[in-house]
Amino acid sequence: MAGSPAHSVDLAALLAATALPFFSFLAIIVATRGRPKVSAGLSIGAAAVCLGCSIGLLAFHSGLSAPIEFSTSLIASSGLNIPFGFLVDKLNLLMIVVVSTICFLVQVYSLGYMAKDPGFSRYYAFMSLFTWAMMSLALSASLLQLYFFWELVGLSSYLLIGFWYEKWSATQAGKKAFVMTRAGDAAFFIGILLLFIHTGDLNIAHLDSRSALAGVPPSFITLSAILIFGGIVGKSAQFPLLTWLPDAMEGPTPVSALLHSATMVAAGVYLFARLYPFFSLSPTAMSVFLAIGTISMLLASTMAMVSRDIKKVWAYSTISQLGFMIMALGAGGYFAGVFHLTTHAGFKALLFLCSGVFIHRFETNDVFELGRLGARRMLIPMISMVLGAAALSGLPPLSGYFSKEAVMGSLAGLPDHVWLAAGLCGVFLTAYYSFRLIFILLFPRERVSGEPEGAHGAAHKAEYGAMALPLIILSTVTVFLGFFETPLRHFIGVAGEVGQAPTWPHTAALALAVAGAAVAWIEFGRKGAAQIGFVERIEPLHRLFAERWYIDHFYGLLVNRVVDRGIARLCELNDRKVIDGSIDGLCEATVESGRVVATLQTVMVQYRLLAIFAVLVLLALYYYY
Amino acid sequence: MIAPFSEVLVVAGILFALGAFCAVVRRNLIMIVLGIEIMLNAASIVFVGASLHLSNLDGQSFVLFILAVAATEVSVGLAIIVYAFRRTGSFDPGNFNLLG
Repeated sequence: MAGSPAHSVDLAALLAATALPFFSFLAIIVATRGRPKVSAGLSIGAAAVCLGCSIGLLAFHSGLSAPIEFSTSLIASSGLNIPFGFLVDKLNLLMIVVVSTICFLVQVYSLGYMAKDPGFSRYYAFMSLFTWAMMSLALSASLLQLYFFWELVGLSSYLLIGFWYEKWSATQAGKKAFVMTRAGDAAFFIGILLLFIHTGDLNIAHLDSRSALAGVPPSFITLSAILIFGGIVGKSAQFPLLTWLPDAMEGPTPVSALLHSATMVAAGVYLFARLYPFFSLSPTAMSVFLAIGTISMLLASTMAMVSRDIKKVWAYSTISQLGFMIMALGAGGYFAGVFHLTTHAGFKALLFLCSGVFIHRFETNDVFELGRLGARRMLIPMISMVLGAAALSGLPPLSGYFSKEAVMGSLAGLPDHVWLAAGLCGVFLTAYYSFRLIFILLFPRERVSGEPEGAHGAAHKAEYGAMALPLIILSTVTVFLGFFETPLRHFIGVAGEVGQAPTWPHTAALALAVAGAAVAWIEFGRKGAAQIGFVERIEPLHRLFAERWYIDHFYGLLVNRVVDRGIARLCELNDRKVIDGSIDGLCEATVESGRVVATLQTVMVQYRLLAIFAVLVLLALYYYY
Repeated sequence: MIAPFSEVLVVAGILFALGAFCAVVRRNLIMIVLGIEIMLNAASIVFVGASLHLSNLDGQSFVLFILAVAATEVSVGLAIIVYAFRRTGSFDPGNFNLLG
């Protein structure tokens, strides 16, 4: 650890950024649970300091050449050294700025959204926990430390998804999110252990510089890469573990915004980017990742096409955008994946927060209902939402356009054009479902019946103000972030980036996005449109998409057959017959033997007396003669 | 001594047998204790007789101790019997039966 003053300033900033949210979590849980205002202040203050430190670090290290590492040994034994500390490089400088920005804005927004909720303080405590876990995850120096915070992220998202624990579906959704991500995490942990056994080094910097991997057979690297990718699949809700994410919509909307943009699901893609040099050692693993990203992207897009629930549409779109990121990374477009992660964090948070305003105001999730009740009269959220949806579809000049072009560029660099075709198909679907939702909201078929906004008195206005401010900030980010592509590219500065790709994929992507929006216009927007999508006209296809390709049914069947009737039954049998049986047998044997011995006790004390006399007499006779 | 020692032994033997019979056969705790006392006294008679027969006073002094011990033993025994009677409401040893 270097001791120069600049380094100690860095260390102080890093410590402040990671420790403060944790302390605010503790303080809220221990002391200020009864005082919601103080709790919110603590939590938002901590997030603001995080944000300040992150931006400061990013500004100070904008010309960072080599990663900085601050670490101490967590476990040191012969030939075994697990560091614990901070690893700062360009990727996580960017990441912590994204995370702390979104966390801060979402917490400010929650002041309005969660006002009057009985669990207000608890909510802010969990928010702080989440911020802490995610910031520390982003800055982790070793894979084991990362895994630790990875699980904490999972825990805090479980707590927040099931935040309204009186609601049965919310607790179920929380459990589902926890268990499904855990399935992936198990693979991740096995991967870490394998890597550890074979290399004895879990330092991320060493893994990425590949110095730790000298002499490790490639098949082994493929195996551990795929296992670690299992964790990413769970966390980022990729195929086949994608069904927890739509259900996670049961939580409060700001939580969804946080979960979907910068923390929970982004953690998966972040890990991919974090270990990118390691993953890219194995071409087989990379093509597996590419395939999984593509499948998830397409599946989720089709699901989004038929959903009527505003939050679920955005949830599916998150899965498909994460699919895009993983495709980009899998295709070798490191910058494209990271850039899409950054822009997506902005516009997806924006979309969720806008939906939150509508849901808070009209208390329904149904898109058609929201349109009918007059969502379009709420100007700020409606305009922001259109901006967000346009960014999601990849229309210029919004941020999503630039990042999606970068993704297409990296896909176009692949020799096989199947991936590019799938990506373009995804672009079309994305534009279609985003604008389907926007048009349903904007042009309701029935007459708008709700009263205009602002008719609810001063308290409502204050809530609305707290919610509108983050929307405006995020809209601004969404509009302007795209123009920072070149500086960001220079900042991330990746060697081995795909070279000058042909321009036709960019044009095709833009054309398809416009085409998607146009189809949505024809079916949902124009006057006299029936507002029935082309998918809904084909009944089996509609059912297939609405039932999420029957993935949940499949899991239900699997759990029912294999777990409930197979493993659980065997365990139950073992419990009842072997364990209970042996203990019961032992007890019964004791009781039985006691009963046998008890027959020797013949009630009458006199029989024993008689026996004594008889024996004495016989003994006397024996000795006498 | 008027009676020969052998007759004393016979009387003591008869008394002992009566006491043993009483202790074994009667189904009343008090009678059982009584039987035990009789056996004790039969032993005392033998002591007294032997002391006369051998012209040695050790036997007689021993009997005094036996009397004292018998008295305490009876008091303790009766207390136990009273307690048992309170517990079960009967003097029948056949009722003192928690195991069977």
